[in-house]
This record gives sequence, C-alpha cells and structure tokens, in this order.
Amino acid sequence: MTMDSFTLDETEEAEVRHISSRSRFADVPVHIALLFIGLAIATPIIIAFFMSFTPLREIVGRANPSVIPDTWTFANYEKAWNATPFGRFVLNSFIQTGVITAAQVFFSILAGYAFAMFEFRGKNALFVLVIGSLIVPFELTFIPNFLLISDLGWANTYAGLTVPFLASAFGVFMMRQFFMSLPRDLYDAAKIDGAGDWKYLWAVMAPLSKGAISAFTIFSFLSAWNQYLWPLIITNDESMRTAQIGIRFFLVNQERATDWGAIMAGAVIVMIPTLIVFIVAQKQLVKGIAASGLKG
Amino acid sequence: MTTTVESPAKKRRPRDGWRPSLKAYAYLIPTFIILFVFVYFPIIESFRLSLKRVAPFGNQEISVGFENYTRLLSSSDFWDTVKVSVFFMIGTVPIGIGLAVIIAILLSYPLKRLNGLYRTLIFVPVVISSAIGGVLFRLLYNPVVGFFNYWLSLVGIDGPNWLNEQTWAVVAVTITVVWRQLGFNVIIALAGIQNINEQLYEAAKVDGAGVMRRIRSITLPMLSPTLFFLAIVNVIISLQAFGEINILTDGGPGRATTNLVYQVFVDGFVGTKFTGRASAQAFMLAVMIIGISILNFRSLRSRVHYQ
Repeated sequence: MTMDSFTLDETEEAEVRHISSRSRFADVPVHIALLFIGLAIATPIIIAFFMSFTPLREIVGRANPSVIPDTWTFANYEKAWNATPFGRFVLNSFIQTGVITAAQVFFSILAGYAFAMFEFRGKNALFVLVIGSLIVPFELTFIPNFLLISDLGWANTYAGLTVPFLASAFGVFMMRQFFMSLPRDLYDAAKIDGAGDWKYLWAVMAPLSKGAISAFTIFSFLSAWNQYLWPLIITNDESMRTAQIGIRFFLVNQERATDWGAIMAGAVIVMIPTLIVFIVAQKQLVKGIAASGLKG
Repeated sequence: MTTTVESPAKKRRPRDGWRPSLKAYAYLIPTFIILFVFVYFPIIESFRLSLKRVAPFGNQEISVGFENYTRLLSSSDFWDTVKVSVFFMIGTVPIGIGLAVIIAILLSYPLKRLNGLYRTLIFVPVVISSAIGGVLFRLLYNPVVGFFNYWLSLVGIDGPNWLNEQTWAVVAVTITVVWRQLGFNVIIALAGIQNINEQLYEAAKVDGAGVMRRIRSITLPMLSPTLFFLAIVNVIISLQAFGEINILTDGGPGRATTNLVYQVFVDGFVGTKFTGRASAQAFMLAVMIIGISILNFRSLRSRVHYQ
C-alpha cells in the first residue's frame, strides 16, 4: 500500500509498454494526436498568460482575436495589482494556505504515527472515525460550521478561514500507511537504545518518510490554496478575501469595463503558485494522485 | 480491558490499564478535536437545523418536523434543481471519462521523446481551482473578445451566446467542469493502464491481435475497476459543482444552471436566509453522495483481484 510502488515515470515506464507495435514511423500520428490534445487542454491557460500581457486596445480593437499580443505590456499587472488590494488577497491566501498546510502535515504525522506504532484502547473505533470522515461531503458540514464560526466571532478572520481545516483525515491515513510500510525492526532497535517515541518519530521516521510527507504537503497546499466555497461565505470584508475570492469580485467589476487583460493578469497571479508547484513537483503530485486512485 | 477488539497486533495490546493509551491519545488529540467539532458534530447539527424554520423577524427557531422536506419534495423548484444536477452528471461523467481513457491510451504508447511535455500539457488542469477555471472559460465564452465563437466562425458556424441562453449555459458549465477534471481522470486512467500485466499484450500480439483489438479485448476489460472508481468520483464531483457555476453563470440565466448545491448556497447565504430549507436540501444531497461513496468503498474489495 505504499505510494512508491506506482511509478508513472515517463522514461522507464514508457519503454515497457506494448499496446502498439514499435516503429519510429508509427510514432508520428501519436505525436501529432498528443500534441494537438495537449495544446487544446492547455489552451485556456496559455491564452490567459498571453492576454495578461496584451494592451487593452489590442484586445477590444481587433475583429479577429489573436492569442499572441503584437506589443507586450505590463500595464495589466499594474492595474490588477492596484485596482483592488490584490497584494492583500495574495497575502491572505499565503497565510491561510500556510497555516492549513503546516497544521495538516504536522497533525497528520502525529496521528499517523499513533495509528501505525501504538497499541491503545479504542484504536480500531478511532481509525474507523478517521476513515468515515472522508466520505462526509462538504454540503453536510458547511452550514453548521458557518454558524459556529460566526457565533465565535471568527467571520472575517484568519481563524475563521483556517481552523475548520487544521486536520486532514486523508493525511492521517496516508501517513499511517507509509509509516506501517517501514521496517518495525528500526523501532525496536531504537527502543533498546532508549530513544523515546517523540525523538524516534522526528529523528528516524520523518526523514525516512520525506517522499510521503512532501506528497501530502503538495496535496494539502493545492487544496487549501484552491478553496472557494468556504472563504466565499466566511469573508465579506474585502481586506480578508483570499485570492480566489478576490479574482471573482475583480472579474465582476472589470468585466463591465471589458478589461480582460487586467482580469487575466489577476488570474495569472492567482494560479502562478499552483503552476509553480505543478512544474516543480509534477512527478510526486502525479504519483500521489495515481496512488489515491488505485488504492481508493 | 475485557472487550478487546481482534486485531493482528493483539500481542502488543496494553496490559497495564490506560497509561500506555494516554500517550497515543496525546498524538491523536489535535486531529480528533477538529474532526469532532467540524465534521461529526455538524452532521447532527445539520440534521437538527433541517427540522427548523427561523422566524422571519428575529432569530427564533421554530421546530417544524419534516415540513422542510415535505415542502421541498412537493415543490417544482426543488425538482428543477435536481434535474440540473442530473444534467450535469449525465453531461460530465461519460464524456470526461471517455476522453480520459482515449488520452491515457495514447499517453501509454511507448514514445521515445516528448512524453514529459505531453504529460505536462495534459495534466495541468489538476492544479487549477474552480474559480480560475470559471474565469478562464468566461473569457473563452465571451461573445466579443472570447475565442470559442471566433474559432467556430472560422469553420462557418455562428456560435451561440453561451452564458445567456439557458441550454448553452448548461453546456458551457459542463465543458468547464469536464476540462478541470480531465487532468485527474487521465492520471488515474493512465495508472490503471500501466498496472495491466504486460504478458497479456504479448500473448495477444503472438495471436495476431491488432491495436484496436488489443484495446478492446485487454485494455478496457482490465481497466473496468479503474473505470468504476472514476465513474463514482466523477459522479460525486459533478453533483458538487459550485465554483464554476458561481463564476460563469451565477446559477442563471433564470435558474438554468442552479443545481442542488447552488440552491443550498442561495437559500443559506444569499439575501434572506432560509437555513432550515438549505439544510434539508443539503442533507438529502449528502445522503445521496455518502451512498455513492459507500458503493465505492465496497467495490475496493472486488478491485483487489486485479492487482
């Protein structure tokens, strides 16, 4: 049940696939098909990127829209950044995402370790509660959570944005699975050496689990950064909006002015952190998703 | 101590009371505080709220029994939102999975180079939020500066006013949801294909089976557990579509794209708040989604056979 048993590595994996017979000539149609499909899928993002550098007069002034601008400009970014407190939105998102990710990773490691290494009363029942919470959809929780957070006076605060998400059942499950795959002898040896659990967890287990921990960190970061419904309902003060909510209101305001260059600049600002993560950690991300799919 | 649950690790069960358990609980407490306060308690609270009506003036709650449910079930507005949810499901699930399988089969072809580039281009929607998906496609659908109608005009088609016509608005949201889900679906389908035993293909090749035959007789049947998993996940995701609708159409035009989730949002958070009615709808939707999820958990057992 470890994630590392699934490799989607393009080089080694590709070598051993034989759905089709191998000849260089036969590769050509596949290349063409994949290039076409790949470009079609990435097109909305590519267009947004180019349009964010296109002057307004070029966007509205042409009969035939062209993807690549004739002249390049940074004006859209200046406008997006200054028209609304975009800097503030991005800062809010980084705080919200940072707190959620750090807490989810830390608490998941702790709980995963407890489920993997300790024997204790009610272990099975508690583990069922963790797994069971995975199938509870947000529709069932967001209204009571909204009322609770509002009653606590946490609407429009970082606490309101983050506290309901400080733990992750998925993270606990993932960490437990990984810790259980590590050899138990290590633990017994450490016990004989007199190392306590806390020390063993951070000095031995955590470094050995770097792959699993970073895969979950990426997951956690992406889902926190991309949250929409919760930040939409729990903030109505402009200064507390996250980037995702900011772009929605920016769109509504700028669309009347048909200032699509500025809107796309805003969109690029909002998605750039996730695109960077995607480029840098694509393999881990893909592996994590593939493992979650194959193993439920 | 007497009622021990059977577990493979029975040998290591604590023999000296609660003390060894306390350390474990210390590791677990942060997770369980959050799970109880923000997942398990709200389930009960959600049901309790669905049996209430908040008086129009003031904050007084009135118990109304199952009135919220009976009223909903006999209102055509409610069934309209159910219909929209079902439309999104029918529109997104087969197309989304079909496309994903075709693309995954192509990606599993043993190319010598450019594999990484194709994967990057195809997987990228996986990191795009529903809000950004909505914004990007709102531009594409725009009748003046958008690209869809311009491209359609190149092949002689006069494109519709996507977001302002009832039928096309449903199509527009469907396309956006399919696009955003595609990266995930391809990754899962590709992993499923790569898990298929190589020898099956070798044997088929020896028997002279062509490419299409091998896809039909080996890839698709062996992929059926993966397809089932994808179907379940995609049904749940299509039922929960919210961000794209909020940004593309705001549930309109009229109520053409108001699905159940959107109606819960409108009833619960926009204008006059009908918390009881919103909760009742949320509860019904959730029961459906949980039912589908349990179906998925049960299917895990059958999928083990293939691995």
